[in-house]
Amino acid sequence: MTQLKDGSGAAEAAQAADLLVTVATTLNERLAVTAEELARSQALLREASDELMTAFRGAADRIVAAQRDTPPDDAPRTAEYGVVLDHLYRAVQHLQSHDLVNQLIDAQKLRVDKMREKLGEALSLADPPVSDPRAAEQWIERSRAMLDCIVAGIRQIDEDGRAPRADKQRAGSVDLF
Amino acid sequence: MKTILAVDDSATMREMVAFVLESAGYRVIEAEDGAHGLERAAATSCDLVITDQNMPNMDGLTLVRSLRELRDYKTVPILLLTTESSDTMKAQGRAAGATGWLVKPFDPATLLEVVQKVLR
Repeated sequence: MTQLKDGSGAAEAAQAADLLVTVATTLNERLAVTAEELARSQALLREASDELMTAFRGAADRIVAAQRDTPPDDAPRTAEYGVVLDHLYRAVQHLQSHDLVNQLIDAQKLRVDKMREKLGEALSLADPPVSDPRAAEQWIERSRAMLDCIVAGIRQIDEDGRAPRADKQRAGSVDLF
Repeated sequence: MKTILAVDDSATMREMVAFVLESAGYRVIEAEDGAHGLERAAATSCDLVITDQNMPNMDGLTLVRSLRELRDYKTVPILLLTTESSDTMKAQGRAAGATGWLVKPFDPATLLEVVQKVLR
């Protein structure tokens, strides 16, 4: 805690500034943990998705090739391929969800990273300390600059328009114009 | 054989769309964003374009507008396949010249039904 000897309001301003630094530091540490957990979750999901995609690709390529090589009048085979295709079509829907979740995590990671960057910028304003610790306006100015930086970070994370929208009710809906 | 251009920045999504369409006998060419999609469309004669909306370099609506300026794509059906589902976005799609709007994740049978319908 910054110690000041005068009673001009600088002590209170310094305390408020220190509190802001403490809050920003703590928040940044929590966000670092969140970023790490998001990255770990995404790595696990990617690994699972990659494995599923490899299996899916193998089956999909074979069924498309088999269909191509089968004469159209071979009804039993065509029917059998139809059953396999139905299963693969179901997989298509779930693999899309994996992909969308991956994109969602990407968007959240980006938001967390942007916020951490802004918090880092805000914290860098606290170092070096104010030139005259007895001047309350210097502490206030520094706190204001830090808050501006944090608010800019909050605004910035909401401006990212590339995050996939998750609208379960409308998923799969079709509008023909 | 009808040729369909699938534009999406997600390789998985392109692969899913391509598989469903190829299994129904269509030829599919792919592009990873709007700019690349526009290039491919100009170089190949496509019977249908299916595009995502949110992509780097050029988004889906810009691609639709750009394609509609090309003589060969004045009447070619263009479908938006996207996670975007707001009525405002759909209205923008319609105004840009899109033929239809499908919300992800798509149902393969529905996609095929729509494709058959717009290609008729």
